[in-house]
Amino acid sequence: MLDLIGHLGLGFSTAFSPTNLGLCFLGCLVGTLIGVLPGVGPIATIAMLLPLTFKVDPTGALIMLAGIYYGAQYGGSTTAILVNIPGEATAVVTTLDGHQMARKGQAGIALGIAAISSFIAGSIATLVVAAVGAPLTKLALLFGPAEYFGLMVLGLGLAVVLAQGSVLKAVIMVVFGLVLSTVGTDLETGDERLTLGFAALSDGIDFAVLAMGVFGIAEVLRNIENPEARGVVKGAIGRLLPSAADLRRSLGPILRGTGLGAALGILPGNGAVLAPFASYTLEKKLADEPSRFGLGAIEGVAGPEAANNAGAQTAFIPLLTLGIPPNAVMALMVGAMTIHGVIPGPLVMTRNAPLFWGMVASMWIGNLMLLIINLPLVGVWVRLLKVPYRLLYNIILLFCCIGIYSVNNNPADVFFTAVFGGVGYVLIKLGLEPAPMLLGFVLGRLMEEKLRQALALSDGSFMTFVERPLSAGLIVCALVVMLIAILPAVTRSREKVFQE
Amino acid sequence: MSVQTPITMRPPVAPVPLRQDFLGGLFVTAVAVLAYWLAADLPAGTLGGMGPGMMPKALALLLGALGLTLLFGSLWHFGERIRRWSIRGPVFVFGAMIAFGLTVRPLGLVVAGPLAMMIGALASDEVRWGETIVSVALTSAFCVGLFKLALGLPIPLAPWLIGY
Repeated sequence: MLDLIGHLGLGFSTAFSPTNLGLCFLGCLVGTLIGVLPGVGPIATIAMLLPLTFKVDPTGALIMLAGIYYGAQYGGSTTAILVNIPGEATAVVTTLDGHQMARKGQAGIALGIAAISSFIAGSIATLVVAAVGAPLTKLALLFGPAEYFGLMVLGLGLAVVLAQGSVLKAVIMVVFGLVLSTVGTDLETGDERLTLGFAALSDGIDFAVLAMGVFGIAEVLRNIENPEARGVVKGAIGRLLPSAADLRRSLGPILRGTGLGAALGILPGNGAVLAPFASYTLEKKLADEPSRFGLGAIEGVAGPEAANNAGAQTAFIPLLTLGIPPNAVMALMVGAMTIHGVIPGPLVMTRNAPLFWGMVASMWIGNLMLLIINLPLVGVWVRLLKVPYRLLYNIILLFCCIGIYSVNNNPADVFFTAVFGGVGYVLIKLGLEPAPMLLGFVLGRLMEEKLRQALALSDGSFMTFVERPLSAGLIVCALVVMLIAILPAVTRSREKVFQE
Repeated sequence: MSVQTPITMRPPVAPVPLRQDFLGGLFVTAVAVLAYWLAADLPAGTLGGMGPGMMPKALALLLGALGLTLLFGSLWHFGERIRRWSIRGPVFVFGAMIAFGLTVRPLGLVVAGPLAMMIGALASDEVRWGETIVSVALTSAFCVGLFKLALGLPIPLAPWLIGY
C-alpha cells in the first residue's frame, strides 16, 4: 500500500511538470478534435496523430498519446450522442440512449453525464492499473515462451468470440492478420519473406499504415457511398450539468460499469469491446422500468460510458506488464513506444519507473482535462459536426496523408496505405469485419517468435505447451473459449447482444 | 451494426456468384494461394528448428482451408448478396493519395496538400466547387501551421520556392 502511494507520488510529480501537463492538454484537445469527426475512431485518430509526439521525450510522448487516446474516445461518444454515428464499436451502445436524449433536447446532459462517468471510471481504473501493475509484472517474470504463446492464443480466441458476425469469418480474419504479420525480414535468418521485392516491406508492414488504410481510408470510402444519413441534432444543446436526481440515478450504473469495464479490459483479445454491451444489458436487467431503455434513459449512457472508459484504461495493463497489446489501439502504443526506444513489457516498470508511473498518473489527469475542456467546448464540436461530410472526408483524407507520410517520412507509406484502404474496402463489401485481422497482425510476430523459441527449447515437441502448468492452463482456456463460441446457444445470444 | 432484414422482407436468393460468402471465400483463398506461392522457396526447416518458410506456409494453408470452407459453405448456406460497389469514390480517393505521395517530396506540402484535396473532392458526387475551394485553402493553411510551424515535422513545405 505504501509502495502504491510512493509510486503514484512519483507518477504525479512526473505528470504535473508544466511540459507534461501541457502535452497532456494538447493531446486531449487534438484527440477530441479528430475523434469528433464522424467515422474516425480512436485507431485512425491515433495513427493520424502519432507524428505529433515525435519531437517530445518518451515520457512526454506517451503522456500525450494517452491524452490523444482519451480525447479520441470522448470524441467518439460526442459523435455518437449528437449524430448517432459511433466512432467505433464501443460507442455503439452510447448511440442507443444518448442520441435519444439528444433528440429530447437533453444533448447537454447526455454529454455531461458521459464526461462525468468517464471521469469517475477513469479515476478508479487508474487506481486499478497502479495496484495490479506491480504484482502482474512479477507474474510476467515467470512467463517463458510457451506461456507467452498460450496467452496470445487465448487473446486471439477471445477476439474471435467478441467479433461481430460469423465465427468462421472472424477466424479467417485473425489468420489473415497472422499471414500479413509474416511479411518482412525473418527475425532469425534474415531472409526476406513475402515482400514482393519491395524494399519498404522488408521491415514488415507498418502497423500504422495497415490500421490507417483499413480503419481510416476504407471508412471514408464507405461513408462517401452512404451519404447523409446523419442527422446532427438541431437546436439547443441545453444545460450540461445533470441534476442531482440524474446523478443519483447514474451513480449505481457508473460504479457497476466501471467494475465490468475494468475486469474485461484486462483480458487479452480486446475484452474492453464487450464492456459497454455488458453494462447496458446489466442496467436494463436491473432497472425498474426496462422499457425506458432505448428512449433516452440516462443510465444507458452513464453505465456503458463508464465501462468503456474503464476498459480502455485497464487495457494498458497487459501492455505495460506483459508487453502484449490486447487491442489495436494498444498496438499503436507499442509502435509509439518502440519509436521512442521503450520496449513494452515487465521491464518498463523497473527500468523506466518515472515513465510508467507518470503515464499512469497522466491517465487520471487526462480524464480530468477532458472534463474541463470538453464541457465548455461542446459548442465548438457541435459546429464542427454541422460541416457536411462531403467537405469533412476530404479534410480527414489530407490528415491521413500527412500523418502517414510523417511516420517514416516515406512517400511509399502513403501508397501502401492506399493499397490497404482498397483491401479494407473489399473486406467491408465482402462482409468480412477487419477488426480481428488487426489483432492477428499485432500478435503475429510475437507469437511466431515465442512459438519458435518454445519449440526450439523442447526440440520440436508440442508437449511443452501441455507439460508446463501455466501454459497448459492458458491453452485450455483458449480451447474452452473457442468451443463456447461455436455452441449454438451462445451463437444465438451473441447475435442478440450485438444487435441490441 | 447492420440492420437485419426481417424474414418476411428477405430478398430472393442470390445466384451463387453474387453471394457475399462465395466471393469472400474466393478472395481469401486467392490471398492464401498468393502467400503460399511467395513463400514457396523459403525453407521450412523442422519443428525444433523452424526455417523462415514454416509459419508463412502453415498459415497460408490454414487460411486457404478456411477460405474454401467459406466458399463451399456459401453453396448451401445462402447468406447475403454482395453489396453495391462504387467506382468513383475509390478512384478519386486513391488518386488523391497517390498524387500526394508523388508530389510531397519534390513540390512540398504547399502543392501536395491542395492537389490531393482537389482530387479527393471529386470522390463525392455532391461536390460543389465554391465551398471546396474555401475548405481546401483553409485546411491547407491549418496543416502548414500545425504540422510545420507548430510541430516542426520534417515534411517539405515548398522546396522549389524557399528551399525546404
